[in-house]
Amino acid sequence: MSLSNLIKNWSTLRVKRPYEDQYKDKDYKWAMVIDLDTCTGCNACTTACYAENNLPVVGKEFFGKGQAMHWIRIERYWGENEEMEGKFPDRGAQFLPMLCQQCEAAPCEVVCPVGATHHTPDGLNSQVYNRCVGSRYCSANCPYKVRYFNWWQYPERAWPNPLEQQLNPDVTVRSKGVMEKCTFCVQRLTEAKNRARTEGRRVADGEVTTACAQACPTSAITFGNLADDKSEVARIWARQKVDLAKDKQDKEEDLRGYRIFEDLRTYPSIVYMERVRNFEA
Amino acid sequence: MTVRMKIMLVWLSLLMICGSAIAEPFVQGGAIGSQTDDGFNALGPVVEQPIEFPHNTHAGQMGINCMYCHTYARRSAVSGIPRLDKCMGCHKLIESVKDKPRIKKLFEYWEKKQAIPWKKVHDLPDFVRFNHERHIQRFYFREDRPVREVCGYCHGDVASMTTARRVKALSMGWCVSCHQKDHLENVSTTKTSNGPNDCWQCHK
Repeated sequence: MSLSNLIKNWSTLRVKRPYEDQYKDKDYKWAMVIDLDTCTGCNACTTACYAENNLPVVGKEFFGKGQAMHWIRIERYWGENEEMEGKFPDRGAQFLPMLCQQCEAAPCEVVCPVGATHHTPDGLNSQVYNRCVGSRYCSANCPYKVRYFNWWQYPERAWPNPLEQQLNPDVTVRSKGVMEKCTFCVQRLTEAKNRARTEGRRVADGEVTTACAQACPTSAITFGNLADDKSEVARIWARQKVDLAKDKQDKEEDLRGYRIFEDLRTYPSIVYMERVRNFEA
Repeated sequence: MTVRMKIMLVWLSLLMICGSAIAEPFVQGGAIGSQTDDGFNALGPVVEQPIEFPHNTHAGQMGINCMYCHTYARRSAVSGIPRLDKCMGCHKLIESVKDKPRIKKLFEYWEKKQAIPWKKVHDLPDFVRFNHERHIQRFYFREDRPVREVCGYCHGDVASMTTARRVKALSMGWCVSCHQKDHLENVSTTKTSNGPNDCWQCHK
């Protein structure tokens, strides 16, 4: 950022983020809604993400060490009051797709020693692989544990010749020693934004979506532009009375939108829909 | 100079020799120190093409619009290399140059039904996305600047070259130096705007 740029945007740089109506006059603020009541835990989103974003399949051994590279993973929880017979009860599992929450006040961004992770103007938490030196501080500071580190040079192993032909040319193949994370399929967003700009309009609702949302068989994932009041995502956020700049949402019987670890004041961009049953927590 | 310092000097020079042998210097193309037209390092290498295509005749003397052949530049991320039938579309009908050696070569490829294996001159790293469409739409269509100037921001004055050579650095600092300039929004206003300053706009 040049000095002239800094002076020009001084007023926006000096305020605490996020603030109310931060994206009101902006064109884009990408956000997501995940309906946990329709999620069946089928892992289609994970598979789609692997295909779209050139994620290497690390194999059983590395998976066991916790080195899997799934940008979106299905977390499984067993209900508290379910009867636990044996190790895996037949029913009662709850699923929660966990991906980068694209926090507005992201804990990962402030700790990067080399400025490899930034906040983009459209509300994404970006990761630039070229700048990353692999300190892994961001991952340590992420409360959601959705940043993944390339411990090994995976590409040769994951896509032996001729499998490299299946790689998505719009996404970098990451090499050893860099951190990576969900990008909200930024390659699709950029393309849609460019197309819309050429045609002199804003990206329409439903024109662009992430790979996970596209693959979801029960349409549990909704993706869209929160800055556009008429988009599906913005309407759900409004209906569930979730506000981007709040760190505590209204808890009513018939509301079911919540964000994970809101009280940490990370201000995530993803709303999960499930009735909050434990009001004490 | 003490003996100890001398020993250290010898070691240092040895280290430097070894170091230079192992680590290849990072050069973006061209010879070290050779400068592009705008003062950045370094000039692109000379790329030998299968046919020495005279850009100077086509774009320079004839004044053909760059986008007549590089037709995707205005509607896609890549500008595209013209297909052989694009060349033949005109050259079939131009009798006067038919026995020039370069045109003979062209017809050879046509008869063999082979695409001409053009080599890439302006090659960006794989982690960068560059969009021709946005730049052309902004500067050529909206601001109505001459095409030679608009393409020339990044490609130099190709209309004065035969086969193209990279004369601009195409490095990040070079891109940003233009993105930070205040560009007029269109011809009739004084309102300015900058290019995007967001990592993910170009880095993928």
